[in-house]
Amino acid sequence: MSRKASGLKAWVLQRATALYIGLFTLALLGVLLFDPPHGYAQWRDGFADPLIGIATLVYIVSILLHAWVGVRDVLIDYVRPLGLRVTLLALVVLGLVACGLWASQSLILVRLV
Amino acid sequence: MKFLVSRYNPDRDAKPHMQAFEVEVWRGMMLRDALLEIKRQDESFAFRHSCGEGVCGSDGVNVNGSNRLACITPVADLKAPVEIRPFPGRPIIRDLVVDMSQFYAQYKAVEPWLVREDPMPEQEILQSPAERDRLDGLYECILCGCCSTACPSFWWNPDKFHGPQALLTAWRFLADSRDQATEHRLDALEGPYRLFRCHTIMSCVEACPKGLNPTRAIGHIKQLMLEKAI
Repeated sequence: MSRKASGLKAWVLQRATALYIGLFTLALLGVLLFDPPHGYAQWRDGFADPLIGIATLVYIVSILLHAWVGVRDVLIDYVRPLGLRVTLLALVVLGLVACGLWASQSLILVRLV
Repeated sequence: MKFLVSRYNPDRDAKPHMQAFEVEVWRGMMLRDALLEIKRQDESFAFRHSCGEGVCGSDGVNVNGSNRLACITPVADLKAPVEIRPFPGRPIIRDLVVDMSQFYAQYKAVEPWLVREDPMPEQEILQSPAERDRLDGLYECILCGCCSTACPSFWWNPDKFHGPQALLTAWRFLADSRDQATEHRLDALEGPYRLFRCHTIMSCVEACPKGLNPTRAIGHIKQLMLEKAI
């Protein structure tokens, strides 16, 4: 494995996820504006649709990856002491994974209930 | 006209302080002329300068918050009192004179010379007019340091991030049709620091007294990296 943390990969990932997040958010806003679901049953049915479910999962993963690259950049720029930087990076990873698992769990539950 | 100049003598002062000078302004006066006048008033005042016409890149200073070349900055364009400080982020040697060693080390690190794998031809290596045009906006850099010392990413990581000046130079050689070290140059720029600390803040573009665009050059490098990676 390379000794260096990634430069190009992280940069491309940040841009690609930004694109997807932008498009998905626009679609989401469109739905909420022009054809909003009425009541929980309609919400659930919407997210239970395999296409929408997968698109939403990809959205969640995109946000997590995008946030990871962005926060990593900020910490690399501003936090110089190695111990503190590693601790903060680890906390960010844990926080992001927790958020991701929680969001995914909601999506899976929607399909089960 | 009132000038506030940053003074620092490492033998006497714990930290830099501002000193006021009154300078009589004449028509067409450049900031370098004002600094020379201040030096006439107080000969212990130190600043770098040489050609006086924006070619040597010696007299870069921070004027009212922006990095400029004193010799091509008309005093008439400046708001009084004119605050003159050394380049931000660089260790101060004395008054407006700063230590640019890290800046030059980053320049050296991008190997600012043509690399040929093929045997050298008997005569010059020819370029088409279009190939030569690609170097416009790149070769004009005079290494004054206005851009890199205006770059927040360079302030935070001057030891690891190349900075806008060195990256403009890196692209100047990547873009050169005569250079044959593209892969080597791109490999050397990989990692989170050397190239990718650039967050397109674009302070460098605003600071460059020659009107060059390091941010665009950095964008070209990233694009070329991506092309070579997929």
